[in-house]
Amino acid sequence: MRELFNRYRFFFLAVVLLLSTLLLYSYNLRNKGATSFFERAILTIAAPFQASLDESADFITGLWGNYLWLVDARRQNLDLLQENRQLTSELQQVEEIRLQNERLRNLLALVDDIDRAALPAQIIGEDASNWARTVTIDKGSRAGLRAGLPVVAAEGVVGRIIKTAPGSSRVLLVTDASSNIAALVQRTRTRGIVHGLGSKLALKYALRDAEVAAGDLLVTSGMGGVFPKGLSLGKVQIAERDELALFQKIVVVPVVDFSHLEEVMVLLGEDR
Amino acid sequence: MRRFLLYLLIGIFFVLLQSSLFPLLLPAGLRPNLLMILIVYLGLSENLTRAVLVALLLGGIQDSFSGTSLGLYVTVDLVLLLLVRLLSTHLNTENPALLLLLIAGGTLVQNLLVGFCLMFFADAGPILSILLSALPQQLLANLLAALLMLLLLLRIQPMFGSRSGLPGLIYQSKRHGA
Repeated sequence: MRELFNRYRFFFLAVVLLLSTLLLYSYNLRNKGATSFFERAILTIAAPFQASLDESADFITGLWGNYLWLVDARRQNLDLLQENRQLTSELQQVEEIRLQNERLRNLLALVDDIDRAALPAQIIGEDASNWARTVTIDKGSRAGLRAGLPVVAAEGVVGRIIKTAPGSSRVLLVTDASSNIAALVQRTRTRGIVHGLGSKLALKYALRDAEVAAGDLLVTSGMGGVFPKGLSLGKVQIAERDELALFQKIVVVPVVDFSHLEEVMVLLGEDR
Repeated sequence: MRRFLLYLLIGIFFVLLQSSLFPLLLPAGLRPNLLMILIVYLGLSENLTRAVLVALLLGGIQDSFSGTSLGLYVTVDLVLLLLVRLLSTHLNTENPALLLLLIAGGTLVQNLLVGFCLMFFADAGPILSILLSALPQQLLANLLAALLMLLLLLRIQPMFGSRSGLPGLIYQSKRHGA
């Protein structure tokens, strides 16, 4: 018998354990509502561990959710940033339009004074060389422009059109070395030719005795047949008289800031 | 034909940069003349017929975007190209400083030629003083731009498997084992 038990010990123990568990199960099935001692003990012992584990889990989850993962917050942040960028961009556009409106209003006021038909144009390019002073505007022969038409800004004379293509034109600025415009000193009516010096202008052929002083305004004389009379060209910076020279040496600063020029008006046709 | 068109496209791109982008970003004196750099490069690395044809067209393009009359840069670029070609046969093309030296020389020669043409053919008034006052800045801008383009070219060339000889790029030949 003993030998038999030893031989099949494993199976006997297995059957006994299985039956025991089945009995335990059967018992507890009948007493569902009661908490057994074992259960109570386990729960009591495990509770603090469970609590700290829960707290740790909450902490890690919170850390992950609130600081590391942050899917929602990040998404919201991105949405807000995008919205902010869009609003800022719109605000800038509105500001840009307001400034452009202001500039165009000044240009229109000038054109009203000149009393000649005019076409607004935008500057879209500058000269590709470092010595010539020309700009490209976005209106061309399709808009009725042709070589020789004067171009002005709100401050005064910009130049004249020298080349036209269907959709664009090149404008020779008054500061170009090959530009010459008949001009007169507004205060004293002294006549001369305004010549480009690259960044400044020079008034040539002003007689030695003519009264010209620094700060005097130069305007177009209307003699060349290109520019209407009375448009501002620049202010005298230096007026020097040489003992032996027949004419004065006069340097003029243009009234138009060519480095910040954006919109211009092309004057069309004759005076109304 | 493909290389010809490529140079033409690059030239148009350069002139658009010079006339539209650089004025927005760089002060007037510090805008490099990229087309001049391209002409010097053509003079050093392309066969004469192709280089001349491209230089003529690029000159015409540059004339369309600058100055008052067509023909000035056609002439100037052609002279510059021929001078570079003439000189390059007598120079040590393994010297890394050659291209930059030619760019510096090219800037001076180009300004001189422009000044000469404008003074003697166009009566452009005080053009010489304008050119001379802008020359130091122009020189600096061209050299910097050439240096940047050279570095860029070195990065790009291996991507396209191009091994065309470029004087002055001594470490390029090391890289390609040429």
